[in-house]
Amino acid sequence: MRDGVDRTNGPPDEWGYASDLADMSGEVAICGVGDSDVSKASGRTTKAIVGQAVERALDDAGLAPTDVDGLMYVGMPEQFDVAAFHEHFGTSHDIWESRRGGGMTGAAVAPYYAAEALRAGKARFVLNTFGVAWATQRSDMTGGPGESHAQDLFKQNLEIPLGWFPQPVYFATIARRHMHDFGTTEEQLGAIAVACRHHANLNPEAVMRDKPLSMEQYLASPKFVEPFRKEDCCLISDGGGAYIMTTLDRAADRPKPPAIVAGVGLGHSSTGTHWAQQPAFTSTPAVFSAPAAFAMAGITPADVDLFTCYDPFTIVTLMQIEDSGFCEKGAGGPFVAGDALRFDAGRLPTNTHGGMLSHAYVLGISHVVEVVRQLRGEAAAQVAGCEIGVYGGYTGPQASTLVLRRAR
Amino acid sequence: MAEHRIDGKITRAAFPLPDLTWPLTAEFWAGAARGELTIPACDTCGRSRWYPKETCPHCGGEPYTWTAMSGHATLFSWVVVTHPFLPQFADLVPFVPALVALDEDPGIRVPTRMVDCDAADLDFDMPVRVTFREISFTGVDGSVVAPLFVPA
Repeated sequence: MRDGVDRTNGPPDEWGYASDLADMSGEVAICGVGDSDVSKASGRTTKAIVGQAVERALDDAGLAPTDVDGLMYVGMPEQFDVAAFHEHFGTSHDIWESRRGGGMTGAAVAPYYAAEALRAGKARFVLNTFGVAWATQRSDMTGGPGESHAQDLFKQNLEIPLGWFPQPVYFATIARRHMHDFGTTEEQLGAIAVACRHHANLNPEAVMRDKPLSMEQYLASPKFVEPFRKEDCCLISDGGGAYIMTTLDRAADRPKPPAIVAGVGLGHSSTGTHWAQQPAFTSTPAVFSAPAAFAMAGITPADVDLFTCYDPFTIVTLMQIEDSGFCEKGAGGPFVAGDALRFDAGRLPTNTHGGMLSHAYVLGISHVVEVVRQLRGEAAAQVAGCEIGVYGGYTGPQASTLVLRRAR
Repeated sequence: MAEHRIDGKITRAAFPLPDLTWPLTAEFWAGAARGELTIPACDTCGRSRWYPKETCPHCGGEPYTWTAMSGHATLFSWVVVTHPFLPQFADLVPFVPALVALDEDPGIRVPTRMVDCDAADLDFDMPVRVTFREISFTGVDGSVVAPLFVPA
């Protein structure tokens, strides 16, 4: 929706567009972050997972539960709404609430809507959270995380009966076409998986902390949805995260250095989750979101010290690197090859906590937590001199870009 | 979509067979049953409308007419699936889900399966043609005739 107009079927002859977002650069800072424990199936509930992440974010920010007077999440089942917050903390105060946050693309655009609430005096400290217990719930879900797609009646009636389902099939199809169009190789996709695993091996919180992955191991792994191996696909996890936003003035009084929101962008694909029909088949709407966010921040891709991106599959990282302007479209394969994405040796340190491929599939919220830690110098795989970090969110219908910078 | 949702779970017993009663795709499956690959054409602007939504993405027009295609296409992309992502796919693996671009309008990509071929022989943009086959799924009663594709 833009200007209240539904463009899910168009606009004609354009495959997507950027939301027209007002400049809010430098208005909001992230003053506290927290991850839950992340794991395979754990028997925990989503609300308990998010509650733990929120407790840690409050500790990090030096705040009490009663200081939180704004709460953002996404309109998915079991998310941490105001009722859940009060139940968890035994509080009852007034809390401004918005469903335009959470993980995925919301993890990048939440600060934009938080800025409106902070500006209007509706809230002083706005918490954004997201969590899933999909590892625990997996056996009850149709196609695992494919469940939401299985609900789509076009998919039920034109895709699934032909076997074009679920997400690993969609993105393996995209990857193969990217290979044809641009010469991308399996080894180049493997470089993304190997870099993420290397980062996870350095991160004591990561699900795959004890599981090394070499290129030789990657190439020897069977292709279960060719051209993808399981290492091209993200984990299925229980976990969540949280971050707290406020004004720069208030953030200056918090114990940790603030991460300043320098730019936000939101892009849309007119074909939504019907990936088969997206005219720009091997692109993401980061094509629209990234230039908008970088313009708001007054930076170019060359200024970025750290990139984290929603990485359900290796090819999605590759496409976002291209679409965000870190290299030319189609040059992503050579760009990511070798050690290019590693935290210490790379041209673009990427998903330095391990990403969804090797940290946990918590749908992007931990990516933002990681950017903040990197800007503070607190990360497990710390990027030297990290001053500007970017998170790229993605759902298919949307991509979003968040630029954070260290306080100067 | 509400008729198919109970607590977010799919309860339609025939899933993943298509719902032949869903108005927006019923004609697609009726065409397949009589051996025709049909795609809606917008009555207002004449352009193909795919997927068959109620409103034309190009002109905003609503009425449309299901139109038989030649069944000739090119192979846009494909994957080789050896893992059954749904238990109903258990007897299907390995299989080759694919997208084919229709000769009449290459902008239209039809999700399908490649059959009667060795996946190693497939190539980008190779000519393919439709074939109509009865498909069924593990543990699901019934079958339907579906438009699958073979190398031309």
